[in-house]
Amino acid sequence: MFFKRINHYGDVGLILDFGSDSSQQISQEVNAVYVLLQDIDLRQLNVIPSFNKIVLSFQSIKERNRAQDSIESILTKVNLTNSQKDRKLWNIPACYEDIYALDRELIQITHGLTKEEVILKHTGKSYYAYYIGFMPGFPYLGDIDSSLITPRLATPRIQIPARSVGIARKHTCIYPKISPSGWNIIGQVPFDIFSLEHSRTSLFLPGDTVQFQSITEKEFFQIQSKRLLFDEIIKEFSK
Amino acid sequence: MNRFQVTRTGTYLTVQDWGRFHYQHLGVSPSGMMDHRIPQALTKVIPNHQNQFLEFAYVGPSLKVEQGAIKVSVGGQCNIFVQKHNNTQIEHAPYTSINLFEGDELTIHNTIDSVYGYIAFENGLGLEPCLQSFATDTKAQIGSINRPLQIGDQFEVSKDVSSWDLQSSEEVNISKQTNFKVYPGPQMNYFSDEVLQTFVSSPFTITTQSDRMGLRLEGEPLKSHISHDILSEGILPGCIQVPTNGQPIVLMRDIPCTGGYPKIAILARDDISKIAQLPPGTKITFDL
Repeated sequence: MFFKRINHYGDVGLILDFGSDSSQQISQEVNAVYVLLQDIDLRQLNVIPSFNKIVLSFQSIKERNRAQDSIESILTKVNLTNSQKDRKLWNIPACYEDIYALDRELIQITHGLTKEEVILKHTGKSYYAYYIGFMPGFPYLGDIDSSLITPRLATPRIQIPARSVGIARKHTCIYPKISPSGWNIIGQVPFDIFSLEHSRTSLFLPGDTVQFQSITEKEFFQIQSKRLLFDEIIKEFSK
Repeated sequence: MNRFQVTRTGTYLTVQDWGRFHYQHLGVSPSGMMDHRIPQALTKVIPNHQNQFLEFAYVGPSLKVEQGAIKVSVGGQCNIFVQKHNNTQIEHAPYTSINLFEGDELTIHNTIDSVYGYIAFENGLGLEPCLQSFATDTKAQIGSINRPLQIGDQFEVSKDVSSWDLQSSEEVNISKQTNFKVYPGPQMNYFSDEVLQTFVSSPFTITTQSDRMGLRLEGEPLKSHISHDILSEGILPGCIQVPTNGQPIVLMRDIPCTGGYPKIAILARDDISKIAQLPPGTKITFDL
């Protein structure tokens, strides 16, 4: 068990602390507890998992205190395997060609790699979706191959295109929307990953596994022009 | 059909409710009204508000009834006028019901010694919820209307007003409270006793770089002896985070879902509404 303690977070919040590190193991436990919290009626407003914490918010101090008692009593029942049900395995097409890969060359130079090596390393591993945050539908994926680990840009960009694939430190991500960004942009995916029309809302959910697959510009345009709906994307690119 | 139109936006006119909950784990901000006290008082004047309010900052809007009639109430410290269709002008008090008929135009002037004002509408604004809420998050472009309102925006309310009787409620006292008792933040230990002493003893000024996402403060810099960079974790309105420059930010309603700066302290829930009403230039102090 990585779970350390429950602390108050202001007067109407709680923070569950799983230690100061981040690892897939810790995250799996975070997500297992998260799943457990979904199953009980805590009357919470929000539950926000991240790498090593879960923050909960409530309407009142009274409800916060009531929930704290219930959470303490269920934490003994955490089941890691149970939390893996309903998790999806994604095979996500991404185009790494120059017009989408604003910082791929910088990464090649930093690490002495060829274009093909960068693509091979990024597509060669399946990533764990630690959590969704920063902006609606934004997945923190990791960990990337150690030879691709790159710091954030010294000066963040004011704007990057929607659906951009980025890497920073040991994580990789996909931007659901146009955004300012300090991540190194190395490619783009050909469909939206956030939808107000679908009940899932975010294509990726915490605990999902994501592997990228390199596609040509032509294939990128072909998929993009289909304007796939979430159900079609799920059917075609996940299992 | 009752229809009115925005003929002047004022500043930062948005549709809001009490907040969008149960989506923050997907990266969606809670948003909602900056000051919950005012709309709470307005619900007594307009009980059938459908949780669809307009919020403005500093300068109020003008709304003109194009067809039919509507009943509204305005909350906040501001002057309210109605230009009647026969060209007479009538002043109204906040927290009273105002009946607007075809051709009437409601104009709300500046908020006085405060920031936010609200309008409640009998039968609401005829909107559909987005992710179970009417709130607007302009940064993420999520909402029944996913942007600030513009001149020409029209609202249609199919239901007619059931009673034109005058209703009113007590005025909300927008206190001038500038000292806030705060709770320890999860990274309070990132700051030495000396820095914490500075935090509670020196004033911080609310800067003009403040909006629905956060109030940026300026004062004696609060430097961490550990780091200004933490593993991102969930944040809530009221969290006081300290980025590398040492100038604290009080997070408000349109927060990102997680933040990577250490949080020195957290405001009490009810103080978020109070601090929201303090205009830039106000000096505030904290008590741990």
